[in-house]
Amino acid sequence: MSDENKSCCHPTATRSSAPMWIIVVTLSLLFFGGLYLDSHSGWFDAKVYAPYNSAEKLEAFQPKSVAAAAMARGKGLYEAVCGICHGSDGAGKPGQAPALAASEWVTTKGFNRLARIPLAGVNGPMQVAGKDWNLAMAAMGAALSDDNLAAVLTYIRTSWGNNASAVTGDDIKKIRAEVGKSPQIYTAEQLKALPE
Amino acid sequence: MNPTENKTVCSTEIDASCRVPLLALFGGAALWLVLGLTLGLAAMLSFHKPDMFADCPFLTFGRAQAAANDLLLYGFVIPAALGVMLWIFTRLSQAPLALPIVPVVAANLWHVGVLVGTVAILIGESTGHPWLEYPRPAAVLLFAAFMLIAVTAVATFGARLNRELYPSHWFMFAALLWFAWSYSTANLFLVSNYPPRGVVQSVIGWWLANNLLFVWLALAGIGIAFYFLPKISGQPLASSGYALFGFLTLVFFGTWCGIPQSAPVPAWLPTVSSFGALLSIIPVIALGIVAKKTVSGAKVACMGGPFCFIKFGVLSFVVSSLLYISEFCPRYSRVLDFTWFNFGVTQWQLLGFATMILVGAIYEILPRVMAKNLPLPKLAKANFFLLAGGTLLFVIPLLIGGLEQGMKFADANIPFADASAVALKFLRISTTGQLLVLLGALCLLLNVFVMTIQWKLGLIKTVIAAVTAPLKTSEVKS
Repeated sequence: MSDENKSCCHPTATRSSAPMWIIVVTLSLLFFGGLYLDSHSGWFDAKVYAPYNSAEKLEAFQPKSVAAAAMARGKGLYEAVCGICHGSDGAGKPGQAPALAASEWVTTKGFNRLARIPLAGVNGPMQVAGKDWNLAMAAMGAALSDDNLAAVLTYIRTSWGNNASAVTGDDIKKIRAEVGKSPQIYTAEQLKALPE
Repeated sequence: MNPTENKTVCSTEIDASCRVPLLALFGGAALWLVLGLTLGLAAMLSFHKPDMFADCPFLTFGRAQAAANDLLLYGFVIPAALGVMLWIFTRLSQAPLALPIVPVVAANLWHVGVLVGTVAILIGESTGHPWLEYPRPAAVLLFAAFMLIAVTAVATFGARLNRELYPSHWFMFAALLWFAWSYSTANLFLVSNYPPRGVVQSVIGWWLANNLLFVWLALAGIGIAFYFLPKISGQPLASSGYALFGFLTLVFFGTWCGIPQSAPVPAWLPTVSSFGALLSIIPVIALGIVAKKTVSGAKVACMGGPFCFIKFGVLSFVVSSLLYISEFCPRYSRVLDFTWFNFGVTQWQLLGFATMILVGAIYEILPRVMAKNLPLPKLAKANFFLLAGGTLLFVIPLLIGGLEQGMKFADANIPFADASAVALKFLRISTTGQLLVLLGALCLLLNVFVMTIQWKLGLIKTVIAAVTAPLKTSEVKS
């Protein structure tokens, strides 16, 4: 081997240390990485998953009381079942569905009439907030459980400026029993004949 | 740089002590490399002609790809790296290999382990964890073989005549420790009777993949490169302090990466991964600069020789590691997830970086160890161009295709099948590159095998000569 002499000496290394600039860059990356870690890690909380960043943020989504939880559930159900036609602002949609906000059908003292609409449906001419409607609504809420329907109705009755009493699951249970298993669709007159 | 008189004698003696263990490690490794690349090619062919292996369950994508990946890593990269490291340990110690029979046994154990594991994957008995597909018997064999070789390396180090430590020592010691630690931990967790439940399994899998493919490859590859670059260029490593800085930041931050952003785990895991990835830029750049400074101004022609391999390998280390790190960049990673990009980066790390450096090192070591020139030097030269060109042609289309695929995936108006199909035209080019890489691996295999056969023939001739030689008169009893 021609380079045998050279190859028997093992390689050497010069002794100087790492330059200052790379240490500065490391420290600044540590700083920015630390900021990122602080803002995204949720401080190692096992319950915090992306896209949420912190336990506080998650906490803000948690309902503070049973009533607040029912409201949150009612809002979710409303948006899935009712909001498509009635609008997530409760203002209704022209030619599709009347408003729920400031509607005399919603803000009644009791909810005996109101609860029958999602349970059995309503049909034919109807006056809502001074406007005439002539449409049909199927029993959209019949499939919801008593508690869920109560939550939706509570949400409707207390949102968008409405300020009526809350509805409980037991109330719905009673009304559902009155309406029967295969109910006839109501007309506005039939509803008006019932007590509030 | 002042060799004492007995050193020249010494280095031939040292090289001779490595001969049998290294042949056992390199011979098997070269064979596994060719087999692994062939299986990889077979796996990719399913994208060109999906029904090609429809009636042959061994070669379906899931099995062939897993077997090919494991053959690359466990079949070639690790045994070859262990062989090269053993040789560097003897050279740096200026002492012959301690316990030379142990690595021979270990090499055979290792190759049996790889054989068992590969057959298990192909018949459908894999564990199902990426990079840990080998079932328990194979994993135990690999671990035992690794420990035996590590013990030999440590014993050689302990018997060293040259007391001074060199930067490669840190990297190689860390590599010996790192594999033993991460491979045993992951196997004990995942391939045991009582694996942890649920997503923890994936977390351990990602951790292992990161520790093997990023940290271990970097430790082994850079440790080896830091020995050969100064040696071939004839210039000192610039500098040990810089290298130490790169080494420490690599082992400290590199091991935090690995958990993808989209992982369904608590937010801190991917966040810590991204943090680790951001800081892993530092060791990659630092080690790259050390290598650059060491070779710059060297008046050594490389034309396809080992120097070329190792320089290309270090360049690949920097580029592929930066691409790997980019996978953990929060916004960007959502585009790259589930595309060909990650596959391309892994192949670049394995082929462009680790394989490149190791093949170069083997070409540098073999002639010394065998005290004989390479039998097919032209093929060795062609090997560089095939491997370098092939790797680039293999991975770059995958990276571009992956990016395009990811952007299409992100667009809700494009159906999934259409977005997936974008990568097909890139796969066509990429498979050509894979073929070139395979040809390069064949060059290595031929060189190693011809050399082994020549050596064995030489041994037989010596034996025959010794047997048939006329007795010396002094030995004839009257």
